Amino acid sequence: MARDDVEARTSKKYVRTFIFSMKTGTPIEKLHVITKIFMIAAMSVLALYMFDIPVLKGGPDIIGLIFLLTIVFVLLIISGTTKYLANSYLLLALPVPISEFIWWLFFNEGLPGAREVFYLWPGFFPIGISTAVLVCVFGVVYYRTRSIIIAIIPAVLLWWLTAMAGTFDFSPLTTWFRLPIGATYSFTLSSWSVTVALSKALGFAVMIYTSFLFLLTTRDAEIAGAMRQLGLSFKKAFFIALIFRSLNTLLIDYENIRIAQTARAAGVNRKNVFSKIIDLAYVSIPLVATMIRRSTEMGVALYARGFEASKKVTSFKETKRITYMDVTVIAILSVFLIYEVVLGHNINNLFVR
Amino acid sequence: MSGEEKTVSNKQNKYPWSNYTLKLGRGEPVSTTQYVLYAVQIAAVIILSYLSVVLLGPLSYSGISLFYFVYPFFLVFTLWWGIWGILGAYIGCVIGAGLLVGLTPIVSGAYAISDFIPPLVVFIVYRGLLANRGIDPLWRDLTDKEVAGVKTKRVTAWILFIVINGIILNAISAELGVGIENYYGLIPSGAYWGWWAGWFFGDLIAMIIITPVLVKGLTKLVERQGLINGGWVT
Repeated sequence: MARDDVEARTSKKYVRTFIFSMKTGTPIEKLHVITKIFMIAAMSVLALYMFDIPVLKGGPDIIGLIFLLTIVFVLLIISGTTKYLANSYLLLALPVPISEFIWWLFFNEGLPGAREVFYLWPGFFPIGISTAVLVCVFGVVYYRTRSIIIAIIPAVLLWWLTAMAGTFDFSPLTTWFRLPIGATYSFTLSSWSVTVALSKALGFAVMIYTSFLFLLTTRDAEIAGAMRQLGLSFKKAFFIALIFRSLNTLLIDYENIRIAQTARAAGVNRKNVFSKIIDLAYVSIPLVATMIRRSTEMGVALYARGFEASKKVTSFKETKRITYMDVTVIAILSVFLIYEVVLGHNINNLFVR
Repeated sequence: MSGEEKTVSNKQNKYPWSNYTLKLGRGEPVSTTQYVLYAVQIAAVIILSYLSVVLLGPLSYSGISLFYFVYPFFLVFTLWWGIWGILGAYIGCVIGAGLLVGLTPIVSGAYAISDFIPPLVVFIVYRGLLANRGIDPLWRDLTDKEVAGVKTKRVTAWILFIVINGIILNAISAELGVGIENYYGLIPSGAYWGWWAGWFFGDLIAMIIITPVLVKGLTKLVERQGLINGGWVT
């Protein structure tokens, strides 16, 4: 019977994960959850280390970070979740690395190096790569959102980021034509500012998309199964499984309550922020009341099924074995960690002398 | 029972909330309903932490929200469910305001300490210290004039509520959270106080607005169902 269930599960084309459904049979789906946890831990250690290398020791490992980000995107493509990612989180998560870049550019004090000129406005409209960025970003975001305001904000922001560096504006490779408009407004920053800010943005992107990779390709039951394999008692493993299983249900409850509130005209006339916050506060009562009711019902159901009395319980069917693929992934990441973090080598130095 | 013990016992029973203490529990094992409830409330805190951070979109950064509305939830849950509420606050921050918004386990695990300390201290201070001095450890005195026939000290309760939770613990939380993110290189030193202020006021506003609503609307219901912990565990 158990074998039939496992066959039924493995014969499915898609299985539900934390925040999506995952294609079965891909190399990522076959990885053990412990390998995936090791992977996000290793990738985050690498990203944190690479973007934090002090300028005096050669500065952040930009090429290493680009390499990591490429690995993450390749893994996302292999896992078959890129379509979902592109439709949802890719653009949603993009403001975070951009804001990271801006914060680190302007608030990172005490960097050594020569001062370089950057432009708030270079005194002309540069026609070149920056214009291509403006048009592409506007086009993509508008296509996704159908809102001119939402599309214009990231487009102008990214355009300005590509146009503010003097070297871009005055190089014939990046600026092909100039339309003189107004006076020049400029400021100076350390020459390391852009490198450090870019490394922070890349590092953050690595961390964000690695986390998504885990959430898009992992099932709650896999975690409970892994806990059992690690020797946790059934009650503790089931407790953890209950937490993860309840996430989706509670999110649906939250959405339903919000829709019910809207149907009762909540927030129709009141526009100010505090009124909206109070509306949000009023979601809390039905949400918590639903949570308590559901817990009571589930508790009774578990009790009726002999949860407290049973000595021998059925183990999780989603439990996987560690395969040679898991060992290979862990070994490659460990070598990478030792090379970069323990021995202190820098991938940047392999290419830039 | 000696005379001294009788005096202590009388003092402890002076208030209707005297059964909510800092003992381990009521001497009973965790029931199946409680077992499920503790797991589900952790899930609820994870979801609310996630929503607290993502609802403000690009304004929220590195897991820091300008309106972290889960803060009052886990404080109230801690007063109801003791160690499970504290666990919920920590796990909620690690997963909801950390992993789900792209922070890695290392950073999330470290900076979630900022959400672990306030509920822990609140539970100890309110149940261990203030409950014996006429302040309700379930915060019903913030909204009610009376609790089970005993007149409440509303003004004192509000002052303590804002000073302890809104200012002292919130400042410690902001210092820990922003400090740890700064240590890991996620927040530049020049922007430290800006993010500190965002954290502090984001939590403070949420706490002042949501806590009374939550307490008024739900504490009686939860208490009536016998679901409030007598001590840390049950």
